[in-house]
Amino acid sequence: MDYTNQKNPQNYSQMEDLKTLDLEESVSETIMRDLKMIAYKLKYVLIPKEQEDNGKELRNWDLWGPLIFCLALAMTLSFKADSTTNSSKSDVFAIIFVLIWVGAFVVTLNAQLLGGKVSFFQSVCLLGYCVFPINIEAIIIAFIGSYLPFVVKLIPVIICFAWSAYSSVGFMASLVPPHKKKLAVYPVFLFYLFLSWFSLIV
Amino acid sequence: MLDNLNQDVSILQPSLQMTDSQVQNRIRQMKMEDPDEQTCYQKFCNLFTIEYYREYFDVTTELVIAKVVNAFNPFSGTFFDIGGGIPELYGPFWILNTLIFTIALSVNIIKYMQLKPGEHFEYQFEIVPFLAIFMYLKTLIVPMIYRVALKCVSQDRLTLLHCFTIYGYSAVVMIPISLLNSIPNPAIQWMLLVYVLFAQTSFLTSNFNQELKYLPKEKKYMIVGLVAVVQITIMILYKFYFFSSFNYQQLGLVKKRTNTHILQHILGAN
Repeated sequence: MDYTNQKNPQNYSQMEDLKTLDLEESVSETIMRDLKMIAYKLKYVLIPKEQEDNGKELRNWDLWGPLIFCLALAMTLSFKADSTTNSSKSDVFAIIFVLIWVGAFVVTLNAQLLGGKVSFFQSVCLLGYCVFPINIEAIIIAFIGSYLPFVVKLIPVIICFAWSAYSSVGFMASLVPPHKKKLAVYPVFLFYLFLSWFSLIV
Repeated sequence: MLDNLNQDVSILQPSLQMTDSQVQNRIRQMKMEDPDEQTCYQKFCNLFTIEYYREYFDVTTELVIAKVVNAFNPFSGTFFDIGGGIPELYGPFWILNTLIFTIALSVNIIKYMQLKPGEHFEYQFEIVPFLAIFMYLKTLIVPMIYRVALKCVSQDRLTLLHCFTIYGYSAVVMIPISLLNSIPNPAIQWMLLVYVLFAQTSFLTSNFNQELKYLPKEKKYMIVGLVAVVQITIMILYKFYFFSSFNYQQLGLVKKRTNTHILQHILGAN
């Protein structure tokens, strides 16, 4: 253990070493540390330049990040749904929640069936983290979308969809043998397309 | 062979000699991997592993693309020649999901186009679970009907999985058509639907025809007629449920969420 870097861990494994001091620290410190872990992984997944070790960092998967982004997206989209439309708030929330988790499950299952040898939760974790750009786009559209014409609304949708798809495609394509790459990538593309379209419509 | 295991190993070197328990473990392991030696229970549990289904996903990108391109051609009848006619489930499953997405998309586009100026756009999402259930049931049940019909005319070369494969790929014609269906002109919508009916039916019959060439005429026409009738039924359902110009609430398909009304109804009935 490198005690000199105790307060400012340089990488994730040093953060792991700090866990032995859990019981003595305040609640806010624990929560901030978890949030920093999520932020670190988010930067790792979404900004391709940070990936120097070909995705080995993803072995430390966690499902907190995906859960937070899924809940945030579902709440943002159901916030706009009110009783004058056909879908009530709880309908939209339920559809988004189920869609994200079942969709991630099905896409991962597909990659495994095509011969990929990745751990199941690693891939679900990655797909969950890549939902973050769709979250950004949903927030933009929810708050200022009613003042913009449809064509202007399309621009952030397309950018964020391309960003999500591009981040997750690199990982998914590396799981399967080369002649099946497009087959594993297409469901990911369809998954994010459906989510983007959903956040555009609402 | 299993009984001689210890003797064979001991010939090589004394250090490689296995103890009795190791031999027993090795025999048990080999028995579990040998399909003839598996118990009935173990064979059933194989159904829940991923390896069991992997053989149905053993496809390459070129193969799937070739099959999709073939499915757009209603007359070729060469579908089962591609890739050796091995049944697979990747294509049907993802074509189905793409189709659900495009139909949901086009239903919303139709609704958007019908808006009078100044009206707020109400998106339609209740249709999605219903659509998904309808599509999955259709894709499960119709190939079973085909397989039963083929069995009745005692044609055993095409198994149930072959029927799933060809039915799944025949649905790919519907994808661009459902996107085009959002054009508001009713004449175009009816023409597109007739085209889909014709294309899917002739694709299915020309492929079944390759296998049915050697049967007497009555049985052939029976199969062709069955395929056509099933397709017509499904097309009519499409037109009047999903692509109609009616207000969906008038159809009674979707109701506004009125939990309080349901509760009063239940309480009132008591």
